[in-house]
Amino acid sequence: MISASAFAKGFGETGLCAALVLALAVTSFAQEAPQLRDNRVTINAGITWLGGYDVGTSTAQLRGNGTGSTAPPFTLFKADSHFSTATAPELRVGVSLTPRLTIEGGASLSHPRIGVSITGDPETVVQELRGEELQQYVFDGGLSWQPPIQMGRRLAPFVIAGAGYLRQLHEDRTLAETGRIYYAGGGARYWLRGGHDRSRPIGLRSEFRINVRSNGIDFEDKMRTYPTFLAFVFIGL
Amino acid sequence: MTRLVAITTALLLTLGSSSPLAYLKLGATLDGRVIDATWRQQPIGYFISERDGTGVSAVDLRGAVDRAAATWSDASSGMVRLSYQGMTTAAAEGTDGRNTIGFLDRPDLDRVLAATSFMIDVTTGAIYEADIFFNTSFVFSVAADGQPGRVDLESVALHELGHLLGLGHSGIGETERTAGGYRVLGSGAVMFPIALTPGAIADRVLQPDDIAGISDLYSGATAVIDTGGIVGRVTKNGQGVNGAHVVAFNPETGILIGNFTLSDNGDFVIARLPPGPYILRVEPLDDADPESFLGTPVDANFQVTYAPRMVVAPHGGSSSPIEIRVLPK
Repeated sequence: MISASAFAKGFGETGLCAALVLALAVTSFAQEAPQLRDNRVTINAGITWLGGYDVGTSTAQLRGNGTGSTAPPFTLFKADSHFSTATAPELRVGVSLTPRLTIEGGASLSHPRIGVSITGDPETVVQELRGEELQQYVFDGGLSWQPPIQMGRRLAPFVIAGAGYLRQLHEDRTLAETGRIYYAGGGARYWLRGGHDRSRPIGLRSEFRINVRSNGIDFEDKMRTYPTFLAFVFIGL
Repeated sequence: MTRLVAITTALLLTLGSSSPLAYLKLGATLDGRVIDATWRQQPIGYFISERDGTGVSAVDLRGAVDRAAATWSDASSGMVRLSYQGMTTAAAEGTDGRNTIGFLDRPDLDRVLAATSFMIDVTTGAIYEADIFFNTSFVFSVAADGQPGRVDLESVALHELGHLLGLGHSGIGETERTAGGYRVLGSGAVMFPIALTPGAIADRVLQPDDIAGISDLYSGATAVIDTGGIVGRVTKNGQGVNGAHVVAFNPETGILIGNFTLSDNGDFVIARLPPGPYILRVEPLDDADPESFLGTPVDANFQVTYAPRMVVAPHGGSSSPIEIRVLPK
């Protein structure tokens, strides 16, 4: 095994030597940590938990009664909105470009609810509306990379980033709004089987992501950030 | 054989009060169903009475009416066209086959700024004649930025031309009671029955509620496909509420468009909405005399209530019906 100190020393001498040592180092870690088989397909099936987030405040305003064209508006009421947390079944298919780099695509269907709080209505008290339940589809693609960090013979971390298409269908199912999702995160895979040889890998995967959503249903047409936590069973084909 | 019956109604824009006989859309009842009152021929010609008003001239009135007519035409995507035909010595009243707009002495109507009268074929809903008078009891202005203490003539003309085209009064507005009438706190439609304070010029610009109304009356095929509707029912103790005002608010665009329940079963329709989700607010008709909106008794004994969920107006169709249950005050 090439030690960390040897790696540092080699890097300090010549570029050619550094590249050689780096390659050896990666190979060395790979011998310990499990990996997906390159050029093979991996199926991931599991559950995604989506965090809730605000989608803005909108104010119903009437034109105020004053001279000129810019009289202060009269507030009829304010509506604060919030996406509830939700869980969704999710299926992801990945192809290992290398043992550490995987390109993957996924699809999920969730049913978050938009709750609305009415405030500022001079003729009634604060009201919490039940809101409406959406059908929310996300189709995404991303890259995951397994860094050369050793966490045992069965466990390996990874980082992931990608982008997706968002489709939100209102409760009446008569109107859809679309948007985009960008995400980055990380997690770990735990191999129940395989990871070091040619046998079919089977394992568990969990990850945490931070998502940035643009467009879609939003009272203020702003980008929104929300977390997701994903848990899968994966199997290599 | 066609049976023609001429009727005359009057719609009044008032200063701090309100008057009877109005609907969101004017209509004629035939065999138990209501037919929209509309002009069947375009352009709609009008004459300006030569008489000067208080603070403004007949020429000023023509200019204000021309601008207001252009505003309605633009809002209807050209489906409505009003055409100036010339000056006339005739007064803006009576039945002479001409649409006449002008000033008139009506000291008896001490809170009425202007009014529109019609002759309608009640078998078809076709409007044959309409006159608009502006009350010389009030001092008007055509100043570009308004003039404190004077009523903006173009704003009033825009409201009255809305009646001439077949629109009734809108309920989107909030008022407070004053001695002898109401004072507007906020208005969401040019067609609200009570005028803004003298000097205000905000009513020179049509609001989404006004545009939805004119689109509903004179819509082309494109407007039908590009807009949607919300249907529902307002109930109290299981019974329909007549005369409830339902306002649809789109939180993504901020627009407000309203309509009324027009029968004892409490049904309502809000048409020509830009597609999207809407918050529905139901309120009693207590911001003006109820008779200024509907010609029938209304139930105003209930609390302001919101629909339990947002309702979507789809492209070219209507929402699934929603029931909004209100509680007595």
